[in-house]
Amino acid sequence: MISSFKPGNLVLALLGFLPLIVALLVGPPQNTPTLAFLGRAAGILGLCFLLLAGLISLRIPGFDLWFGGLTQLWKVHHVLGAAAFVLVMAHPLLLAFASARVSIQAAAAVLFPHPASWSAWAGWAAFAAMTIFLAPTFWFFGQPEYQRWKALHALSGVAIVLGVAHAVPLGRSLAGNWGKTIWLGYGAMALAAFVYRKFVAPLTARKTYTVVNAQTIARGVVELTLAPDEELLNYRAGQFIYLTPLDPRLAFGRNEEHPYTVSSSPREPALRVAIKDVGDATHALQTVAAGGKALVEGPYGDFFPVKKRTNGELWIAGGIGLAPFLSRARALSPEDTVDVHLIYCVQDETRAHFLSELEAIAAKIPGFRLWKHFFYREGPLSGAFMFACCPDFPSREIYVCGPPPLITAARRELRHKVSGARFHSEDFTWL
Amino acid sequence: MAVKRLIYSVFIAFVASVATIVILASLSPRTEKSAAEKERLISLDELARHSRVTDCWMAIAGNVYDFTNYIALHPAAPAVLTKWCGQEATEAFNTKGYGSPHSPAARGMLPKYFVGKLREK
Repeated sequence: MISSFKPGNLVLALLGFLPLIVALLVGPPQNTPTLAFLGRAAGILGLCFLLLAGLISLRIPGFDLWFGGLTQLWKVHHVLGAAAFVLVMAHPLLLAFASARVSIQAAAAVLFPHPASWSAWAGWAAFAAMTIFLAPTFWFFGQPEYQRWKALHALSGVAIVLGVAHAVPLGRSLAGNWGKTIWLGYGAMALAAFVYRKFVAPLTARKTYTVVNAQTIARGVVELTLAPDEELLNYRAGQFIYLTPLDPRLAFGRNEEHPYTVSSSPREPALRVAIKDVGDATHALQTVAAGGKALVEGPYGDFFPVKKRTNGELWIAGGIGLAPFLSRARALSPEDTVDVHLIYCVQDETRAHFLSELEAIAAKIPGFRLWKHFFYREGPLSGAFMFACCPDFPSREIYVCGPPPLITAARRELRHKVSGARFHSEDFTWL
Repeated sequence: MAVKRLIYSVFIAFVASVATIVILASLSPRTEKSAAEKERLISLDELARHSRVTDCWMAIAGNVYDFTNYIALHPAAPAVLTKWCGQEATEAFNTKGYGSPHSPAARGMLPKYFVGKLREK
């Protein structure tokens, strides 16, 4: 939920519309018929959004803070990608329609010109590449297998190069050298981001850690302790990392990166991540042995923005969504001024992981209050329950982390009682 | 989920539209010229006889076109076009008089107006 101004989004909006604005200012002086103009505008915007979607995949830790955290940045990426796909389809159709009043053959010739016109066909090649990796992204064939989908997304690099190869010779709206400058400039940035993410970051940005402990919290939940080979990651409570296990003994997930919230306090000497069994890779990690190596890249995320911690807080945790709150709770000391209510929502007592640790923290830290919400007993989370635990919740900063239904329920219950700016949620689907 | 279904629908609509245009183009009455028309040779003198707005021919890259019915569809003002009626206009077509060539789409419109080849002197 984009509830406050994010400078990164403003910069993106400016970059996103800059080529079109330049085209409107410096483009050909004579009247371009409406359909032809719309067709060119769709092409300009579509290519621009594709290149920007590539640029923001850079995933440099800290860069995401300008956008309110990496999860927010991925949402922007999805919007840009979807818009680019639609605009790139509108582009040739509108241009074909613009020729239709001469003849239908002229319209078809716009779509499929003479083979010698290689730059036009580069456009089709770019579109084909886009379709190949966007079809699974938009579930054309049902939910894709995650690793295969991620591998296919590498075709975005091909689409970027072909899209620029199409626009530079053919573009007519950006007069003089504007077209070359803009498309080669944007294209170079997007390609550099792609090369960095795919080839450079795996070598330079990922740091080696050793799994020194793997504690089974419960069936299907393990907490790993990771000690750095060099210096410990500098992170804030509530941030997350991408973890790439290297242990050759793992049945699945070796050399695959997945995001996990860091559950340790930033003051601890090692990282801890709490991992729930939700698929092949996480299942294999449930029984990982100590001594194996793993790569860590991060930190990412802005779930607890630094400037917000002045009011009292209400934390609503669902299942493994407890992790960021665990990190904060473990960082509390009796000397701090604490005014926090934590509502821990789980199915039943057997799924209330870390409960004894939380109860110990509540006993030790005045101002930290723990409430348990069991779905089998209380049903879905309700405003009434929240009011009973924490009557002054409308004046608190509210943080929710858990499965999408919980976030939806919390947002619904709080919609008219709490201003959007005070409601923070983090959802990890499809990172 | 709704967004995913929307994108899928847009994609299907796009493929269907492109296919429809291509199929209609191949089935519609062709603007192809007969063999006799394609071989017709037109001299510069004959070209110069068609130099009015109501009867406007031009030579571009060795081909002669009858643009009489196109003048009304041309994006820029008719006067820009009509001063070239009856003349060899390759340079004007390639530069529009200020260094900017016509688009590939514009070149794709030419065949419909073809009436013959310019006779070499």
